Amino acid sequence: MSRAVWRQLGLWAATLVMLVFILGPILWMLNSSFQGESELLTRPSHVVPQQPTVANFSYIFTGAVPQGFDVRGTLRSRISQEAREIPAALENSAIIALTVAVLNVALGVLAAYTFARIRFRGRSLIFNFLLGSRLLPAIAVAIPYYAIVSALGLLDSYVGLILVYLTFSLPFTIWFLRDYIVSLPIDVEEAAQIDGCGRLQLLRRIVLPLAAPGLAAAGAFAFMASYNEFLFALLLTQTINSQTMPVILSSVATNPDASLALIATSVVLAMVPPLIFAIVFQRFLTRGLVAALGKG
Amino acid sequence: MVQQRAGESRRPSRGRQIAAGRESRYAYLTLLPVLLIMAAFSLYPIGYSVYLSVHKEVLTDPLNHPFVGFQNFNNALHSYYLISSLTSTLAFMAMAVPGVMVFGLLASLLLNEAFAGARILRVAILLPWAMPAVVSGIVWRWILNGDYGILNSLLFQFGIVHDYIPWLSQPVLARISLAVAHIWREGPLAAIFFLAGLQTISPDLYSAAAVDGAGRVAAFRRITVPLLRPTILIVLVYETIVAATTFDLVYVMTGGGPADATSLISWYAYAEVFKFLDLGTGAALAFLIAMALVGLILLYLRVLRSEEQH
Repeated sequence: MSRAVWRQLGLWAATLVMLVFILGPILWMLNSSFQGESELLTRPSHVVPQQPTVANFSYIFTGAVPQGFDVRGTLRSRISQEAREIPAALENSAIIALTVAVLNVALGVLAAYTFARIRFRGRSLIFNFLLGSRLLPAIAVAIPYYAIVSALGLLDSYVGLILVYLTFSLPFTIWFLRDYIVSLPIDVEEAAQIDGCGRLQLLRRIVLPLAAPGLAAAGAFAFMASYNEFLFALLLTQTINSQTMPVILSSVATNPDASLALIATSVVLAMVPPLIFAIVFQRFLTRGLVAALGKG
Repeated sequence: MVQQRAGESRRPSRGRQIAAGRESRYAYLTLLPVLLIMAAFSLYPIGYSVYLSVHKEVLTDPLNHPFVGFQNFNNALHSYYLISSLTSTLAFMAMAVPGVMVFGLLASLLLNEAFAGARILRVAILLPWAMPAVVSGIVWRWILNGDYGILNSLLFQFGIVHDYIPWLSQPVLARISLAVAHIWREGPLAAIFFLAGLQTISPDLYSAAAVDGAGRVAAFRRITVPLLRPTILIVLVYETIVAATTFDLVYVMTGGGPADATSLISWYAYAEVFKFLDLGTGAALAFLIAMALVGLILLYLRVLRSEEQH
């Protein structure tokens, strides 16, 4: 065989190994979620489920206790009540992450445009202050954040978490969108300005359409960061009224009596929104990450 | 402020002054909401942390808050747990950071090849990064389960081991397991960053090297590595910070155990505050961690700047 063919084979073999490492864990979780508790508790594990079942999913959504739990006495305790809160947690997470994404892009583009196109006193000072505020590591501001949110009476509420996530993502969004807007051609804006267009009009009619891909990327980043955040969600929420997906997942998984099948099913449900997001926004995310690195 | 250009009249016209004033007003108005939120959530926390760190603040002793000077810092620095958590953190970083770098580099070389596999990989590689770290921890905990885990099952069935291995209840193995889960989630991000660096290298360089008779290995060493150096540095520092502040994974995967082997510094700071309820020492500790990280970032900026001058 020629060298080129060997090379192709080598590349495919390496890709296969990579794919198994990346996708294997996700697929095994998916597989486990369709097995019953007693089937998961076997040695060796069943790579192909012998009795595939959707009972775990129906327990989470309807509360119907999966078969096997009431049959085998030893398994009775191995049922995770918390798993029933997964749908509500999904809803909380979705509402919070979407609100953060929208507010973040709206406030961010307004500020980013100002930084990109207008000269004013204190511009670089304010800009550096915004970026510098992100240097504080999360664990260092945990206690004061708790104190602020508590003083505002916003513990265990959507608003408290949304505020905190906004402060995490806004500096990045502003910096990312400022660079995006600076790279757009300025001629059309100047022409429109001569025709008497105000700044807000310029922003709405000319800049927003051109910067749409940048806005999509910034929104996607804010969504994922908020959906995935754990430490502050853990500190600032107390009940299922506001607890997000990672919080409920952690309480399902760290319960010593947890059902393995229900843990797997909860994780599978939790993976759905970010997976859809990553696939839909793949182009924007990759481009955004690349741009972020280029200037980082 | 409108800068004056040479050749323009020295005194700006009245119309232009009014326009500049209007522009500034617009600028401040649009920045106001952002500034209010950011100031409340950055200046106040710093001040409050400083206050906490020099007062006694133990939640089980709520009415007693004397000024204690550097006592809290002293407590944090001389705690047995600080040394043990620093050791755990360094041991974890020593595996996690090189692991992420090597994984990222290898994956990016594959992603940069022009073949169908690269396109598949490009979508797949975003998935682990897109998910919460909590998910990554639970997924790997299940794979590595000592009694019913799939890894043990496969190793056993292929005759590689004769007994199931308790991956997460043996200190050294638990650290390695934590690092593997970390690499799974963080490696993809490094790969995307490296891919971006690779794509800025002109293909002409490689064809010129081929004309001169250089092999692939020589081209990689003489062209790819030197030109990728700035990217490697940036990613290295970023990933160092991410590994140093790992928390979510520990929480769901090992809970700091066994025997504090995976009780990383962020976990320790969390435990200090939320288990021992000592806000003062927790704040002092958080302060020390923040200073160490900011020092690391400044060092990195310097290295990067001197790199640019070469």
